[in-house]
Order: sequence, then structure tokens, then C-alpha cells
Amino acid sequence: MKRFVLAALALSPCAFAAAPPDLAATILAHLAKPGSAQTEFIEVAYRGMLDRPLVTSGTMQWLGGDKLERDVQKPYKAVAKIGDGRMSVQRGDGAVQSMPIERAPQMAAILAGFRALLGGDAAQLSRDFEVKAAGNEARWVLTLTPRAGELKARVQSIQIDGRGDAPRCMTLSEGDGDTTITLVGAMARAGLQSSAPLQSALAARCRND
Amino acid sequence: MPPPQTADQKLLLDEIGEGPGSRLLLLAIGGASGEQLARLSQGLKAALQDDPRFLRVANGDANPDALASSLLPYRYLLSPTLDTRRFDADYLRDQLTQRLDDLSSPAASMLKPILPRDPTLEILKLAQRWAPAKQPQLREGVWFSSRNEALLVAETRAPGFDPGAQRDAIAALQKHFDALPGSKSAELVISGPGYFSLQVSSRTKAEADRFGFITTAGFVILLLLAYRSIVPLLVTALPLLSGAVCGFAALALVFGEAHGITIAFGFTLLGVAQEYPIRVFSHRRAGVGALQSVGDLWPLLATAIVSTCIAYLAFFASGVTGLQQLAVFTITGLIVAGACTRWLLPRVLPERFRDAAQTPGLAGAWKFLARLPRPRWLPWLVLVAGVLVVAFAPAKFWENDLSALAPVPRSLLLTQARLGGELGAPDVRYLLVLRAASADGVLRLSERITPQVDALVARHAVDAVELPSRYLPSVETQRARQAGLPDAAALQAALAQAEQGLPFRTGLFAPFVADVEAARALPPLTPERFEQTPLGARLQAMLLHHGDGKSAVHGGRAPWIGLGTLIGVHDPGAIAALSASTHGAAHLLDLKAASESLLIGYRQRILVALAIAALLLCATVTIALRGPRRALHVLAPMTLATLMVLVVLRAAGIPLSLFHLVSLTLAAGLGLHYALFFERRTDDPAEERRTLHATLVCVISALLVFGVLALSSVPVLRAIGLTVALGVAFHFTLSVLMAPAGHLQAPNGSAPDSPVSSNQAPR
Repeated sequence: MKRFVLAALALSPCAFAAAPPDLAATILAHLAKPGSAQTEFIEVAYRGMLDRPLVTSGTMQWLGGDKLERDVQKPYKAVAKIGDGRMSVQRGDGAVQSMPIERAPQMAAILAGFRALLGGDAAQLSRDFEVKAAGNEARWVLTLTPRAGELKARVQSIQIDGRGDAPRCMTLSEGDGDTTITLVGAMARAGLQSSAPLQSALAARCRND
Repeated sequence: MPPPQTADQKLLLDEIGEGPGSRLLLLAIGGASGEQLARLSQGLKAALQDDPRFLRVANGDANPDALASSLLPYRYLLSPTLDTRRFDADYLRDQLTQRLDDLSSPAASMLKPILPRDPTLEILKLAQRWAPAKQPQLREGVWFSSRNEALLVAETRAPGFDPGAQRDAIAALQKHFDALPGSKSAELVISGPGYFSLQVSSRTKAEADRFGFITTAGFVILLLLAYRSIVPLLVTALPLLSGAVCGFAALALVFGEAHGITIAFGFTLLGVAQEYPIRVFSHRRAGVGALQSVGDLWPLLATAIVSTCIAYLAFFASGVTGLQQLAVFTITGLIVAGACTRWLLPRVLPERFRDAAQTPGLAGAWKFLARLPRPRWLPWLVLVAGVLVVAFAPAKFWENDLSALAPVPRSLLLTQARLGGELGAPDVRYLLVLRAASADGVLRLSERITPQVDALVARHAVDAVELPSRYLPSVETQRARQAGLPDAAALQAALAQAEQGLPFRTGLFAPFVADVEAARALPPLTPERFEQTPLGARLQAMLLHHGDGKSAVHGGRAPWIGLGTLIGVHDPGAIAALSASTHGAAHLLDLKAASESLLIGYRQRILVALAIAALLLCATVTIALRGPRRALHVLAPMTLATLMVLVVLRAAGIPLSLFHLVSLTLAAGLGLHYALFFERRTDDPAEERRTLHATLVCVISALLVFGVLALSSVPVLRAIGLTVALGVAFHFTLSVLMAPAGHLQAPNGSAPDSPVSSNQAPR
């Protein structure tokens, strides 16, 4: 987890002193973490076809580039690995199922978010997404809107709430109205206050707390 | 009389061609970034899918819409789930719990649209069932080789052995590729049997064309030197061209269409007709009009034409379509060329000409040939030695493998092996053939042998087998699954029980209940309706039906045939054992063995036909020459020369093929001319020199044409060239050495029957 905590010491104070800096660029520069990164996560999935949200938790590891591993511990064990344009999913000890990443836009979006946040490649990010930032450097919200492709068809936006150099929540809004809120870092460690939190309550927690 | 054929041969000829494997083109796109290659792969797939020349194309991008949406309720009849499960509360509860987990998994987006309609995921089970058995690795959503090429498989509508249709398909493929944005920087590699047949036929044609140019130039020079006039050059092609034109017309009338190979060989065989005008040119003499001169030659020329036609008649009697076409073309062509030489050619020849008898050096050549020793024992020695060599040479007598005559370049084969291995392409040699009285019978049989086939795969006798029932179950199976579906009330009740305590919204699965209810009332899916689905073409290629009204020809054989393709055959013997357990209804077809036995059958028929033709020829010559004694002077050198060609081929270790037989026949036709003209009685030494002149021009031109062909790098051209060139040389030599006394041995022009020399050939 400590690998997520980034030192911004290298940044020259002069940069901030200059004309109003681009908040998004500044946040991304703070977040950049070349190599790999790992975090616990709690994912709360709100689905139109369900009466209550589905909660899963485990660890997520970004291995650089387009490689991402999502290890679910609760309520079942499953490992999803992404890389080379494919996603493979193994539930428990079952057979490994493999599919092109385009089939799982939700996962593609999470991967894109990680690459954007941790890869530090602002240029690539703005090629794939329209990037907006709100708040200030201490407490911010980044909103990524897909520009094209299957991602745009399936994903409305990815919203990332964070404090300083640490992200707290990733909120994925899908085209069909379903929403998935993933708590990472300190938020994930803090846990949920309810087994089935209301979407509005959870969103408020991501922003305020 | 149709040629007798085994069931396998019949199947090979009428229904399969060279098997579905022969229609596959394996494609690899390389030389660009992975992302770019994937885009090109998708672009090419889209273009080929819209091209009627292609039955299907696959690039790894699995199609989740494998079933047309109007046929979606059929998934309960097509998927094997109902074979072992019932849609009761227990099964549904288990499925719904799994779906809940799926909804929080990364695959949720994919499942959400189908979940209310298909909570047991039959659509995905079918997509998996219909996915290729062995797949290359997928990157960027498409197949990639271990060398970073995007891989595709395209199945052409045309069979692989049809170079014309394959040329069309491959040209279209290349055009589609070139039209894709970014294709300039990438490289498309094409492989597969169809591509090979195109390459081989192009190479053969290119080489034949190149040699054709050389020999044409040589022939022009030869004619100018021989006649010291431009006139023969201008009119020499008249009989041959008229013959060819009429030959084409006859082909069109009798057969409607012709094989490409018929035309090529037809022209070669028709080359005999080139002798007719040469004889006319050489035999013109002072004071006699062209018409009169040809009239004098005509009895002999007519005998030659009729005899050659009889030899070519053997091809017609063989019963093999391609050879019958060859016979119709050449016989028509020869008769027309002969008639043209007799009645048309003399009318266009000018009055002025140079007497061929006065050709410088001809008298010297005459004297040289006349002085050659002619020992009586020579023919007997040649006969005995020849028979011994032919009989005892260690080389294989017949070439049964046609591909040995038109070999595919090794680099192409290596590419094919590499791509075929990566793509899991079906075996081109073996096919599993299922016979039944109906299409549904084929599907039932296919289902019945599936457990045995699975056992073969488990034993590694074969890597994978694709049977027709993989795509469409039999009516019986569909009805059994249908009977296992609960009615709406029972399903509602089971569903309500299964949903207890699960967070699915009330009424979410109404589309599921509706589909099951619809599936209960469906008429079973037939192959005809299945054709509307994206995989319909695949099944269509696996289910074949003999045309109606042909059943008598098939002798009561089951009219429906299913083809199972095999991938990675390791133990053909184990697979062949399926035949015993199904009483022959399912059996392994070895396309190579079937085509070889077919070839052997053809050859036997041709040999019999040639033997009969030889007898007819003997009779014709004997009648024309009014007696066996003179006939022997013509037939003995022909026979011995043919034997000598066989001796050379056998001694050189060259196995004989159909092409050799055709070439031997052509050479014999030429040899007949030499012997006939040398046998001709005349008491005019100048006329004898004209005969020699004509024969020399004919021999040199034939040696030129076929000698050059013998240098070809294409084995089939080399076989024809070598055989005919050797034949011409032997026929000429033996015709000279065995010519009757008083013909070539009397330089002073003594009377034909006067015993001048003691070295007479046997009379």
C-alpha cells in the first residue's frame, strides 16, 4: 500500500508559482508511479436488474503497461488477469475463461484508469479520454470521458476522487445506467459501514468523509 | 459405358473434388504493428464476408451472435444442456447464484444484455461449442502467429484444384487487401492447396510460353533455310489453325466446355498436323501443279491421318472425360487439317517455288544414310535387349502420385505447414465420410459416433474432429430436448423457488420464460433453416446430396453424405476402425489412396484402349499398303522405336505417368509418318530426296519443339518433352535403318524392287 503514497518532492515549487497550473496535469504528475502498484479494493456494484448492490473485495495490482490483475477474495475467490488485449478469468479452481478485453469494457475502463493514474502519461490519457478536473490539489475529482470505440459505447464516464497524491474511489458509470464504485487505498482499508450501502451515501463518502 | 469405380472414387470425383480442406486459404498478415495488423485482419474479414467467392472467413474474432436472433429460442434444442439437466428449482438456483457472481465480475458488461433472456447462458455454450477446436493465440481480438502475423482462414467456394476459379478468388482477396487503409506497409502471405494449384499452373504456363517463343523462332528459321522462300512460312499454319478452330467447335458441341488441360495437350497432340503442309512443300516438283502434287501424296497422307486418328481414338475409349475431350479435339483437328492441306493449301501456293530435291547438301545426306550398315540382326537385338531392360530395370514402373509431376515449391510447403500448424487447419488427405438415406440420418449417425470419435481424440489418434452434428443435432435429439423443457407454469414455479433470497428484480426473467415456452412449440431445426445462420455455410459444406435422378448410377447407395473434417491425424488405422463398428456407414476416406487408385484405373483403361488401337492401326496400315509385308516395314520401326523410348525412360529410373503414355502415342503418330513416307515406292531419285527433305524438316522441327521442352524445370513438361523428343529420334533412326531395300539404299535410283544391297532389312 505504501507504494501508492507518492512523494511530490521532486516537483519544483516554481511550477506552482507560474500562471494557474492545469489542475488535471498537476494531479496526474503527483500520482505518477512508474513500474507497478498494488492496492486493496472494495467494489460495490449497483445493477439495474438487482434490488441491492453486490459487494466484492480483494486486491488489485497494476503491473505496468496494459497488465492488470484483480484478485477477488470475498464473497468468492476469483482471479482476473488482463494483458495483451485479453482478459482471463478463473473462478475458484474452475477452468480459465479467456476473452478479448473489448468484451469486458468495464475492466478495460478500470485498466485505462490505472494506466492513466499511475503511468503518468497525460498525453495518452487525453488521447483516449476527455479529462476534466475539479477541486484543488488537496481534494480533487478527475472525470474521464471516453472519446471513441467500444469504451465510449459502454462507458459513460470514470470519476476518480482523491486527496493529494492518493486516489480514494473510482466510480464507473456505464451506458445502461449501472454504476460501480470501487474504493481503493485508505478507503478500502476503512471498509464499508453497511453491507448494502446506498449509492448516494457511498458517493458522498467518496467526496467528503 | 461409364468406367467402373469404387464408392470412394465416385465420391471423390462427383462430390468432394479434393475435400473441404482443399478450399482453405491460410492467410498471414505481417510487417506492421500488432494494432495495425489486427485492424487489417478485421478489414479483410469484413471484405471477404461480403464476397460471394468465399464461403466463410475466420480471424479469431468469435461471433457471439452465432445464432440469428429469429432462431434464438432454438438454443434449447441445439445446446446439449437439456441432455443431462432439467430446468427445475435446484438447477436454476445454482445457475442464478453463479450469475450473481458474474454480475460483480469483469465479464458483467458482456452478460448483462443476455441475462434476462438466457440465465443459463445457452448462447455462450453454443458459441463455445462452435468455436474452432484448436485456435492460435488471440491478441487485439484476432489470431496471431508466434511470428507476430495476424492469421486468417478463408474458405473459397471453388474447389482447390480449379486454378481458374482459384485465380479469381485469390486476385479478389489481394484486391480487398490492397484496398484496406494501411495495407501498403503490411505484407499478406497466402498459402493453401488452391494457392499451390494456381502457382504450379502459372509456373507451368510461364515456362511453356517462354519455350514456345524459342521454338517458334527456331521453326521460322528452319522453314526459311529449308525452303529458301517466305511462302511456306506464311501458309504453314493454315491447316493447324483451321484444325484447332474446328477442334474447339467440336468440343463446344460435344461437351459444352473443356478442361484447360485439354486445350494445352490438344495443341501438343495436334502438332502432328504440322507435318502435312511440310510434306506438301517438300514434294512439289517442276512441271506439276500444286493441286496435282498434293493429289499424288494424298493416299499416303490419308493413311497417316486415319492411322493417327485411330491411335487418338484410344483416348476416347478410355472413358476418362478429360481424355475423351482430348480425343474429340485432336481427331476433329487432324481431319480438318488434313482436308485443308489437301484442298485449300494447294490453291494458295504460288506457281513459283524451289525444288526441295535441289537443296544443297541433301544429296550428301542421302548418300550418307544410304551407306549406313543395316545388319539383319539389328532389329532382333533391339527387340530382345529392349524387352529385357523394360522388364528388369529396377525403377518403379508407374508413377501413381500425380503431384510428383507438378510439385509445389518447397518454400510454399514450409509456409503451409507452419500456418496450418498454428491455425489447426484440417487434414487435406483424410476425411470422415458418413452415409445415410437422409440429411437427418447423417446427423443421427454423426451423433451416434461422437462418443467413439471423442475416444479417438482422447487416445491422440487425431487432434480434433469436426462432425456435422456439432452444428446441428438430429431431429430426434432436438425432440428429446424439447420434451425436457418445462411448461410455463412449472418453469414459473421453479424460478420463483430458485430466486428466493436472491436480489434479482421480480419479473426480470420473463423473457427467459417466454423463450422456453416458444422453444416447446418449435418445429425441429432443419439443415435448410440452419443455412440462414452465420454458420449455415459451414454445415452446408459438410452435408452433401447426390443430384436427383442419378440414384440409379449410384447403385442404391445412400444419397446423403456427411463429411467430418479431421485435424492432426496421427493414427489413420484407429480412425478407419470406425467403419467396422458402423457397418461401413461411417468410414475414413483417404483422398490420396482414392485418387491414386482412380489414376491406376484410368491407366488400365487407357492401356487396353491403346492395345485395341494398335491392332486397328495394324489392320489399317495393312489394308492401305495392300499386304502384311509392306505393312511390316511401317509397323516394325514404329514398335521398336516406342520400345526404345521405354528402354531409355526405364534405364534412367523415370516412372511412367499418363503424360508419358500420351507422349508415346504422339511420338508413335509422328513415327508412323516417317515410316510411311520412307516405305513409299518411287523410282525417281529426286522424289526420294524430297521425301528425305520433308522428313528431315519434320524431324528437326519436332526435336526443336520437344527437345526444348525436355529442358523444362516443370516435371510434367519435361516428361512430355523428353518422351516425344526421344521418340522422334528413335522413330527416325529406325525408319531409316529399317526402310525396305531399294528405297534408301539406292543412291543411283535403281528400280524399287531390284536387289541392290545385301544388307537388306527383313522383308
